[in-house]
Amino acid sequence: MGHHHNTKPRVISRREMLGLSAGGFGSLALMSLFGTMSLGCKRSGSHETTSNLYLGPHYLPKAKNVIFLYMDGGVSQVDSFDPKPRLAKENGEDPRKKFKVDATQFDNVGKILKSPWDFKQYGECGMPVSDLFPHIATCVDDIALIRSMVSNFPEHTNANYFLHTGSGLQGRPSMGAWMNYGLGSENKNIPGYVVLDGGLIPPGGLDNFKNGFLPASYQASVFKAGPEPVANINPRESINNLQEEKLQFIKQMDDSLIGKIGEADAVESAISNYELAYKMQSSIPELTEFKEETEATKKLYGMDSDDPHLRGYASQCILARRLIERGVRFVELTCPNVGADRWDQHSNLKVGHERNAHAVDQPIAGLLKDLKSRGLLEETLVVWTGEFGRTPFAQGSDGRDHNPSAFSMWMAGAGVKGGTIFGKTDEYGYRVIENAVTVHDLHATIMHLLGLDHKQLTFRFGGRDMRLTDVHGNVVKDILT
Amino acid sequence: MEKVPPATKNSLIRRVSYLLTGLPPNPKEVKNFLLDTSSVSYEKMVDRYLNSPAYGERWARHWMDLVRYAETKGHEFDYAITGAWKYRDYLIRAFNEDVPYDQFLKEHIAGDLLQTTRENKETGVSESRLGTTFYVMGEGTHSPVDVRQDEADRIDNMIDVTTKTFQGLTVSCAKCHDHKFDPITAADYYALYGVMESTRFSPVPADLSKDKKLAAQEIENLNSYMRKLVAGKWDRAKNSYINTEYAQNTTINTSAMSYTVIGDFRGRDFDGWTSDGFAFGQKSTLGNPIVDPATGKLLGLDEGKASSRSMGMGIFGALRSPNFILEKDFIGVRALGKNSSIRIIIDNFQLIQNPIYGGMDQRVNTEEWNNFIFNVRAWKGRKAYIEILPGTHDRHRYNLTEDAFIEAQYAVTYDGEWPLDLEKNITKQPSQDNWASLEISPFKVIRINDDLKKGKLTSNFPELKAVVDSSRLLAKSLKNVSFVNGIYDGYGINSPIFNRGNYKEPSEEHVPRRFLSVLSLGDSVFKSEGSGRLELAEVMLDKDNPLTSRVMVNRIWHHLFGKGIVETVDNFGLQGKLPSHPELLDYLAVKFQQEGWSVKKLIRAIVTSETFKRSDALANTDPNNIYLASFPVRRLEAEAIRDGILAVSESLDSTMYGTPVPTHLTAFMQGRGRPGKSGPIDGEGRRSIYLEVRRNFLEPMMTTFDRPIPFSTFGRRNVTNVPSQSLILMNDPLVAQQAEIMAGKLMEKGLANFEEKVQWIYMQAFSRLASREELKKASNFFGMLQEMEEKMDGKEKPEMELWKEYCHSIFNLKEFIYLI
Repeated sequence: MGHHHNTKPRVISRREMLGLSAGGFGSLALMSLFGTMSLGCKRSGSHETTSNLYLGPHYLPKAKNVIFLYMDGGVSQVDSFDPKPRLAKENGEDPRKKFKVDATQFDNVGKILKSPWDFKQYGECGMPVSDLFPHIATCVDDIALIRSMVSNFPEHTNANYFLHTGSGLQGRPSMGAWMNYGLGSENKNIPGYVVLDGGLIPPGGLDNFKNGFLPASYQASVFKAGPEPVANINPRESINNLQEEKLQFIKQMDDSLIGKIGEADAVESAISNYELAYKMQSSIPELTEFKEETEATKKLYGMDSDDPHLRGYASQCILARRLIERGVRFVELTCPNVGADRWDQHSNLKVGHERNAHAVDQPIAGLLKDLKSRGLLEETLVVWTGEFGRTPFAQGSDGRDHNPSAFSMWMAGAGVKGGTIFGKTDEYGYRVIENAVTVHDLHATIMHLLGLDHKQLTFRFGGRDMRLTDVHGNVVKDILT
Repeated sequence: MEKVPPATKNSLIRRVSYLLTGLPPNPKEVKNFLLDTSSVSYEKMVDRYLNSPAYGERWARHWMDLVRYAETKGHEFDYAITGAWKYRDYLIRAFNEDVPYDQFLKEHIAGDLLQTTRENKETGVSESRLGTTFYVMGEGTHSPVDVRQDEADRIDNMIDVTTKTFQGLTVSCAKCHDHKFDPITAADYYALYGVMESTRFSPVPADLSKDKKLAAQEIENLNSYMRKLVAGKWDRAKNSYINTEYAQNTTINTSAMSYTVIGDFRGRDFDGWTSDGFAFGQKSTLGNPIVDPATGKLLGLDEGKASSRSMGMGIFGALRSPNFILEKDFIGVRALGKNSSIRIIIDNFQLIQNPIYGGMDQRVNTEEWNNFIFNVRAWKGRKAYIEILPGTHDRHRYNLTEDAFIEAQYAVTYDGEWPLDLEKNITKQPSQDNWASLEISPFKVIRINDDLKKGKLTSNFPELKAVVDSSRLLAKSLKNVSFVNGIYDGYGINSPIFNRGNYKEPSEEHVPRRFLSVLSLGDSVFKSEGSGRLELAEVMLDKDNPLTSRVMVNRIWHHLFGKGIVETVDNFGLQGKLPSHPELLDYLAVKFQQEGWSVKKLIRAIVTSETFKRSDALANTDPNNIYLASFPVRRLEAEAIRDGILAVSESLDSTMYGTPVPTHLTAFMQGRGRPGKSGPIDGEGRRSIYLEVRRNFLEPMMTTFDRPIPFSTFGRRNVTNVPSQSLILMNDPLVAQQAEIMAGKLMEKGLANFEEKVQWIYMQAFSRLASREELKKASNFFGMLQEMEEKMDGKEKPEMELWKEYCHSIFNLKEFIYLI
């Protein structure tokens, strides 16, 4: 089974499948579980008529996997990737005299606030990056920067749901769920959609990572650092091999049941799930212990740092690489808890942004370099973004409020044109003035790189063929190779 | 078509018990059923489960999937939906009492508007209004920057859930344009939008009873009696008061006013505002005799004001203005009170708090008249109303203390300075005097009070003392202590059509409130001055509506056979599936109505049919089992699996009703709004329906076994098959704990030998005895366990330890989680 994504799909019946698969019913279960093989025979699924199915890519994909680095809370664009000299010139002046100020979340509009950080140009492309990210700055030639992102929501929760599910309300499937629904996973022992909980689950909670109306098999598995990285992954039997003996007994009993009942397909799948669950028990610890990682690799990510938050995020980045190496389709990293909130600096911008940046900068650069040296960056899409940006004027005296009208995000890796800057904001970095990219466009682009047509991947729910991009979305071709 | 033979009696009782009550049959019940050889033994068994309290718990949970039941509002901080569980209990009672479905529907759509309400037989508390709680089960956002969009999103969800649940139609598809497939127009959607927009949210007392209504009525009667008594004694002086109008002290040039009065309660009525609950009564206090309770001496007549303590304190009530458009910078309310609040409700928005809306909810804690000022400049052009109510919202939980009260004189909207002249510009109403009941204008009340002080009128009314005493006594029975987040009827609003669903692009014309034009009576415009929900309920129940009955009958069929006659239970539209047996659906739909919309009768009819009793052996001629030649094998639902484990380990606590058991929080359940304390692993042994449903912290076992995420209507659950389900049964501490408890129970039984022990477990878990072969396998397994444990540390483990492993394995057998 492998990557036959470009071959023409053919319809395989369930019975045929049973006959073909060497492992009998077990293999069928694997297929329907993690989609190790894409059937590709149907172009859409439906809540009403199916439980598990996978569709296969629509065309040749550039990327196989996605690592989504979520900068929860909203990084300030004018302090990171979108320098605005005018802010320094007009620092302390009243923004309402310069431009129309929209209603903000905290309605506490202060003066125009210059960035506390300097910007320098990096790489062959000369992309300016602020002093917040000296390590990421060394990777700019692999990065396509979009300075013209816009969101529909100025509140965290709506904006989080929107970024993750394409809708500002609770209950829609997350993009990771969509990708797995579309493509399946390539590893039968690990779920295809993994969220690495770095310490902070974004506002809106775990529903950012859920399956919505898609079957529950597409929801994210949350991994945590510690002795039990996945819920219920550790056997509780106190004696070695006791669990194996029990599982054997269970299988023996279950197998004799099969002969007695009529419609046995689902029961057969449930039986083989035990084999999978058992394998997961051993494959997950193997995954989360970094035994075969060299000291040099660990150092590259910053595992030797004095900052425990940096070390924590570094280990999440290494784990992300290990997951995609094993074929996990979509990995999202949430932010570490640095003790100064997420990137949501309504006050004390300097301290908060610096702490957050310090924790993630080196690990992310380490990840990009490590992926590149292993040849994995060619087939992995790395996405770095918050849910919105921040205001160029202060909230109070030293914070910044939410700004959905402009923010910066970047992508790197498979199919992405490194060293590009796309889109433009006004002289204050407050609004997009050129090539606005919506969250739907971002989703369409990610899907495109994975070989999926965002208009074709649908699932019928409540009488509508639902899409991640709803009725919107354009692929941002300018940043693609 | 070849039919398969009927299922065994063991199989049947297990099937009926699980499908009707969500629990495995008790081994005693199984034995009795097996022993009962009478011709009606099956029917008797069915009736026993239909009449078991657990039946209501099972079918209430089915219904909760339709109405996105949750106890918190999700979003950022996952605030509580006050009293949500009372709706859950309402459902359980309703299903157990077999409330006719037409009544049940009416209570959901318009339980607050019914002329005759249905009372709880034990407590006398009104049930009907609790049905409407389903409207407020949606998500809730605090501090939306665009409050109008927020309202549109909430209303869309209400329309979506209401139309899917009761009509099996996806009306929400017509939000942006006419439905692409079904004959549902955007105008239909916005006709219902108006109905929902005219529906307001409110804390609703969950302890209203007929007795309370009568007591409130009696207090009003006593008040009129006092007024008549006083008027009667003063009758000789009446000519010096009536037919004379007293001029106001100052003349006001009304054209120059920079303010608009929204409500003035200094006259006899509430100036067009609505009084909800008992607290404010039906009229202002103008002319109420004020009596010294010790002596019965009349101290004077009360001035006009809206008062929540005219009957007594701690009584729920709310006084609310009609909707108006915010046009001036400020709203002002002159009020006094204790532990009470005045709220400005903009576009029906309820989760009022900082950072944006904090100023729209002001606490009233002042003994003197005070001007409460709200700066509403930011929301000019928005629709709003003012809410004056005793009690406060604390983190969005409504709280009414015993000493809470609020009084208000008037409400005004203005620019610039507080309009001082308003204080003197007292209304003249009532314009017509009615001396006999002391219905006289404020100026006359002032005159009378002056004269009373001067001794021109007698203040000696000893007979009033008894009246005041009884009134006070009655008022005590009116206190409200228990609330739900509910609804009440506002003022009718017709909505424009929003172009492409965008409220910023409204059509010029407004769509009158009505039902869906394609259905019977769908064109008749609702005449109600309020939302029109009662009319909505009535047209849904019109005899020519083809959907109401069919949709419900189909849901019941779905729950019994695992698949509806129309497979797409929430979508009877063209995008849904065609019925597999249209005549059967018609037959059942008619039968359902003819038999008084009795859900129990319908279930009984289906469950006692030959089709239902078939075994699950697959018939060759019906490989997909469309024609139900055999009974479909199916996995049990999340709740039935968990409840089943608790039942067979004998640790199920069958206590019904009440506050939910707090969610057990694992390390994986993180995020804002996480409760400070985790609930117990075993949920106190209570049935799953009583476990808390926190939107942002959903029970992993429930969601993993496909309980839907509560955001829309899910009449049909997904049935997934994933290893995380196996991992739960293999490794979750709850399952291990229950296995241990079960082993302990087994030891206590004092059973003689190995075989008896295995048979006890089989009867508990599978409602049947183990076969010879199964006994042999069990014995081999047991021997192996013994060997392993001995090898481990060389000494024999207590027998219970081994049974624990065996019971744990039993929970992991497919026969345990499948209905076979």
